[in-house]
Amino acid sequence: VSGRGIEPGNGLGIERGIGRALGIATLASVVLVAVGVAGMIATQTPPLDRAFPPFEIGRLPADVAAFKPAGFLWLGLLAVILTPSVRVVASLAGFAALGDRRMTAVALVILGVICLSAFLGAGG
Amino acid sequence: VSELPLLIAAGIGAGAFGSLLGLGGGVLIVPILTLGFGLPLREAVAASLVCVIVTSSAAASVYLQRDAANLKLGMTLEMFTAAAALAGGLVAFALPDRALALMFAALLLYVSVTMVRGRGVETGDGGDAAAEDPDDSPPPRGDDLAAGLSGPGYRVHNLRLGVVGSLFAGLVSALLGVGGGIVKVPLMHLGMGVPLRVATATSNLMIGVTASAGGLVYLLRGGIDPYVAAPTALGVFVGASVAARLADRVELRWLRALFVFVLLFTAAQMGLRGLS
Repeated sequence: VSGRGIEPGNGLGIERGIGRALGIATLASVVLVAVGVAGMIATQTPPLDRAFPPFEIGRLPADVAAFKPAGFLWLGLLAVILTPSVRVVASLAGFAALGDRRMTAVALVILGVICLSAFLGAGG
Repeated sequence: VSELPLLIAAGIGAGAFGSLLGLGGGVLIVPILTLGFGLPLREAVAASLVCVIVTSSAAASVYLQRDAANLKLGMTLEMFTAAAALAGGLVAFALPDRALALMFAALLLYVSVTMVRGRGVETGDGGDAAAEDPDDSPPPRGDDLAAGLSGPGYRVHNLRLGVVGSLFAGLVSALLGVGGGIVKVPLMHLGMGVPLRVATATSNLMIGVTASAGGLVYLLRGGIDPYVAAPTALGVFVGASVAARLADRVELRWLRALFVFVLLFTAAQMGLRGLS
């Protein structure tokens, strides 16, 4: 992220770097989803089968290493859901580099809310 | 397996329609998955949130690289949309399907009325408010924080209204699986003095984090069916990407009329589902 000395949010500065980071993360997550869907086609998995595999983050590496479609599907979906956080992290770095303490705090609060979502979603 | 191409095709259609008309795909995906594929409403909402994040992230990336969005304003408001989406995600698991169906029917009616009135919703076709009406008046007292979020040629005001509206948009997003742009764009443009194009881009930016907060709750509570969400999201990504390149060649007037008809029909179906 570049743009030191340029006011963010005013049309120049850190936005382009953040946009590039977001674009790369989006493409990577969609590719993972596409690999998972290709796996569904290859294994003839019916999509409306009610018994879908549960999301277990500990099983992801093994499922991906074994080229199981469910592993790529869950990894892709997790990546999709976390992609906006990449933008927030990139913004945090950009605002911190610019010395904008208020916006750095805003980015931290947003990341805090996302972490709280994960904690409460997991039943915490 | 024959349902898989149908799901991808449904995603492509929803993504293309949504992109051409400036709406997120959520208002289409939820009815398609519930009424067309027989999914429970909560599962459809969860799948829709995933789709909404994909389209928002792709669009926000472009908007940011073109310097079209107000990053400071978007991030300030998304603190509240994300917090409300977190609450909405938790509440959604406590609400019966019928209540969600009735709320969704009301949302579809609201979107239909907005489109008939020709607001342009998120399409950004309403001109640039800053160019039309430069704001040279002194800032209201106590609105210094909002003024700090202003951009070139316009001054942001009424941050309190923005916070309240953002809380509502976040709640709607997580409960009904939509981006909430239908609330945020008019809120920023009409209520806070942000030019329509900037409001549209900024809303798109906010949708990702908002849906992400709700989506995490659905993911970790077992509410997302990967066999449905993944092919639909892939289709939406393809549809929205293709439509963005065709937008200049499509006659939007007839498409919009058809869309309003589809929305009204779907609202009736969802209403009946809620009342039955």
